[in-house]
Amino acid sequence: MDDEHPLDPEATAALIAEQRARVEGATAVDARVLFGAWGLAWLLGFGLLWATALDEPLVAVDVDAALAVFAALLVAAGVVTAVHITARSRGVRGVSARQGALYGWAWFLGFAVVWALAFALRRAGAAEDVVSLVMMGTSVVLVGTLYMAGGALWDSTTQWALGAVITVVTVAALLVGLPHAYLVMCLGGGGAMLAAAAVEAVRRRRARGL
Amino acid sequence: MGEELLDPLIHTQARLRIMTTLTALPRGDRLTFPRLQALVEASAGNLSTHLRRLEEAGYVEVVKGHQGRVPTTQVGVTDAGRRAFDDYLARLRALLAAPAHAGADGTAGTTDDQET
Repeated sequence: MDDEHPLDPEATAALIAEQRARVEGATAVDARVLFGAWGLAWLLGFGLLWATALDEPLVAVDVDAALAVFAALLVAAGVVTAVHITARSRGVRGVSARQGALYGWAWFLGFAVVWALAFALRRAGAAEDVVSLVMMGTSVVLVGTLYMAGGALWDSTTQWALGAVITVVTVAALLVGLPHAYLVMCLGGGGAMLAAAAVEAVRRRRARGL
Repeated sequence: MGEELLDPLIHTQARLRIMTTLTALPRGDRLTFPRLQALVEASAGNLSTHLRRLEEAGYVEVVKGHQGRVPTTQVGVTDAGRRAFDDYLARLRALLAAPAHAGADGTAGTTDDQET
């Protein structure tokens, strides 16, 4: 830090803008990364499930392998999320860190119920299609609801709208039924997340200046 | 142009970077000392000196604590500091908007920065 030179107004404004960009880039969670990762996982995962679940499958992969790929994609998106949030929140203490941690636990505990429900249904002898529908419905209800809650909490209309769209898409998918429910989730759910990432990119480009 | 003078406590490269960084965080958040140091690219001694000035003015609060056995220092901006920075930005905008601000470089007493 060099304090030798007096700062004229232009240099001062430039320094503030540069420093703000640096702080935002280092500490603020980038919604494009999170929406992008989950959007891709849903687009590819649900897309693959749909392609294999058709009466005349588009790809010759059995259902278990497709489910394993989907699970791996979700885990990958989860890892991207965890690594990103950990890096960005490093050295940040206080209200937002606590908020983030509590919100993160809400996701974790909610999904523990989804997985336990799938396990219990299988043990009770439910058909594979029933388990698939229940897992899809419950996990997406959780995602949609938590996005809406998060949008309300952080005053993010984009996030709230994404949660609302995902919830409506899920209703449509459940009414359509398998196998095309997967396609509805692929395009509607994954597409909505990627659209949210794009909206966020535009918002960032506009939010410049003192 | 008396009231157009920029707050000399903020108007140095180092303290401007510090205040910009801390006010860019959500209200109620603080940064650990090493994280702040990395973001403003200052030496520890230099940063401490500037933080003391800002703390004496009531613009930042420096909270010392322990995480296990390791001592930690967290730095956050106060409400007064946010107000002072908003004020600073308003005056800066006015200076930038002034038709001929050449000559009025906005500095208010650079003499008190000699110790850095």
